[in-house]
Amino acid sequence: MLLRPARTLAAATMLLGLPALANETVRISGWGGSEVAIVNGLLTDVLAEKLAKEGITVKYEPVDGEFSQFIINGLSAGTAPDLFYVDIFWARSVFSAGQALPVTQDVSGFAANLVEAFTYEGKLYAIPKDFNTLAVHFNKDIFDDAGVAYPSDGDTWKTLQEKLVAVHEALPEVDGLCLVPEYARFGAFALSTGWTPFDSRGRTMLDQRFRRAFEFYTGLVKSGAAVLAADAGQSWAGGCLASERAAIAIEGAWIISALRDSAPNMNLGTVRMPKDLESGKRGNIVFTVGWTVNAASKVSKAAAKVAELLTSKEAQQWVLEQGLALPSRTGLADNSWLRGGRPEQMTSRVILEGLSDDHVMPYFFGKVGGSWMQPINAALNSVILGETDADTALASAQSALDRMLAN
Amino acid sequence: MGRAGSEERSGWLFILPFTVSMALFFVYAIVRTAYYSFTDFDLFKAPSFVGLSNYTALVSDELFLTALRNTIGFSLIVTTVQTALALALAVLVNHAVRARGLVRTVFYLPSIMSSAAMTLIFLWLFQRDGFMTAIVGVVLAYHRHILLFFVGIAAVQGALVLKARRRYDGVSIFDPFFLLVAAASALTLVVACALAGLLPVFDNDLRVSWLNTQQRFFFMPVTLWSVALMNIFTTVPTLMLLFLAGLQSIPNALYDAAEIDGANAFQRFRHITVPALRPVTFAVVTMSIIGTLQMFDQVAILGDAAPLASRVTLAYYVYENAFPAGASSRIGMASAAALVLGILTIAVVYVQKSVGVKERAE
Repeated sequence: MLLRPARTLAAATMLLGLPALANETVRISGWGGSEVAIVNGLLTDVLAEKLAKEGITVKYEPVDGEFSQFIINGLSAGTAPDLFYVDIFWARSVFSAGQALPVTQDVSGFAANLVEAFTYEGKLYAIPKDFNTLAVHFNKDIFDDAGVAYPSDGDTWKTLQEKLVAVHEALPEVDGLCLVPEYARFGAFALSTGWTPFDSRGRTMLDQRFRRAFEFYTGLVKSGAAVLAADAGQSWAGGCLASERAAIAIEGAWIISALRDSAPNMNLGTVRMPKDLESGKRGNIVFTVGWTVNAASKVSKAAAKVAELLTSKEAQQWVLEQGLALPSRTGLADNSWLRGGRPEQMTSRVILEGLSDDHVMPYFFGKVGGSWMQPINAALNSVILGETDADTALASAQSALDRMLAN
Repeated sequence: MGRAGSEERSGWLFILPFTVSMALFFVYAIVRTAYYSFTDFDLFKAPSFVGLSNYTALVSDELFLTALRNTIGFSLIVTTVQTALALALAVLVNHAVRARGLVRTVFYLPSIMSSAAMTLIFLWLFQRDGFMTAIVGVVLAYHRHILLFFVGIAAVQGALVLKARRRYDGVSIFDPFFLLVAAASALTLVVACALAGLLPVFDNDLRVSWLNTQQRFFFMPVTLWSVALMNIFTTVPTLMLLFLAGLQSIPNALYDAAEIDGANAFQRFRHITVPALRPVTFAVVTMSIIGTLQMFDQVAILGDAAPLASRVTLAYYVYENAFPAGASSRIGMASAAALVLGILTIAVVYVQKSVGVKERAE
């Protein structure tokens, strides 16, 4: 039996010819931390009216910690939310298990390579919500003090390295760059040579091009251009930049929110990744997250609608203008906000340009997942630490990859 | 009859909660794990029977073999060292005359820290140019001083004891007064030599990769040696407490009688303390073996701070297969590895029980 106010409301909507309120509750889930402010901001400041009109109540359930495990567990137990984030890194494991509903809305406004990244066996399973690429962020004051020219969009590996060495020579307590022995950063250099992670037969060949990038990257420490991040007491390059231990950091736009907290007054500049001198090209890695509808959701239509609203032009413009994330819609690339002169505006512009670098690959490694990076990371690590030489390290990485991909 | 029946009923009622939880979380779980270990299962598609292929895949998986080797090595080292250390500490604390409460509290402190917090602290201590490296660096830099100090002590102490023994009987080699004199003389010698410039300081810019390395030391990766150090530091106090309880149940009369019979401190320890503590030692060794074979949290928290092959243990291998980064779950492999770990644990405990420390005192 309907309660009196509800009955009155139902009668009123019928009289006024409005669509009846379905009043469906959609549970959505994403990461915790700063994402809570973004999603709640969208739901209350931007989309509240539209959601009310659709008769949808959205409940955001943020997850701190291992999000992919939370989702996999939830999906297998039937307790997963109706709509949730999928990171390109592990999205395939959800799609291939038949746990995601294909996207039905028009996606022509979204960046093609992001849409492609979330396409599995010809079907799109997630709407890209934002993305990130790598760029060179630098502390202008350090370069001024050292009397060295700022990094620029025209830099090649070599000219950037020379600038970093010059900074370290002028200011011995500052290193050029904090290096992490990880494919997640090194990959951009390897890709710029024209090397691809998987060849047409699905194998990974650590060829001469890869080796050239490998030797450059591992040689940065020896040349005096870089220091291992762990040796500077940091776990990532952004930490070194924030503490003024390093002059530059190769990171994505996420560095902005980290610097906002730890180094709010830094005179920051951002330029694109350096070019490989031989190929004359740039490489980059795309990190992207999308919204996926749970295939088992009882309110899948409402969930799809919420996904559509959360990635609408209006929503993405709001997120962009707050300086929180980069839009996956290409139409926003010439938004006036991006032409502004504030550091976060310049950084966002450069990160956006990274999407159209010459050799761009998503941060995704097929069926084998993150294990694919382990042999490469181990090789980078052991050579940078001086435990072994490039020949031995690459040979052992190659044989580990061959074994892994043979299965 | 009625009374016996009601007693039996209460007995069953008393064990009912435990039986239910055991049936649910142990028997059911183990049967399910055993079933999954013969299937290909990703948590979503229906499991398909694959016979023994998960087990054959395990045997040919290099990471599994590394994990097996690492686990056995780690368990062996940690169990041995922490049992010996815990016993030594317990004896020491038991003998402490002054501030006994304080000494016990200080020694027990590492155990009340959470393992996650402890691992983070150790991550910091184990930085390449961190605290542990600094200790090694100081020892290396002053190794000549240290060597001279100990040689000096031994020489002076030897000379003093020999001289005294010519006049009196029963002067101990470790006579505390002589030791004090010897230490003071050795220290003076070292300082004098250092001031005279006879002892060069070995200048080193030492960088030791304690965690982030693929180097091995004997049969185990360096990373796991560092984790072993951390594990021993956090577990020894709890085990010490067990030994301490055991020590206090040994009647003093035994020691008095032995002393009258002319047994020295070491003989009393060897022939009274060690045998009387056997049931406690059995418990300590068994707990250590189980705990170390299933060690997971400390290597999991290390995460990317160390290469996978240098830190993988069997328990971590199970987890790595159940939730591989960016790939579909391999529940079949994870279950097979979990069963291997379970069987290995039971087998090692059984072998220990039959050939190692016995459950009962002799």
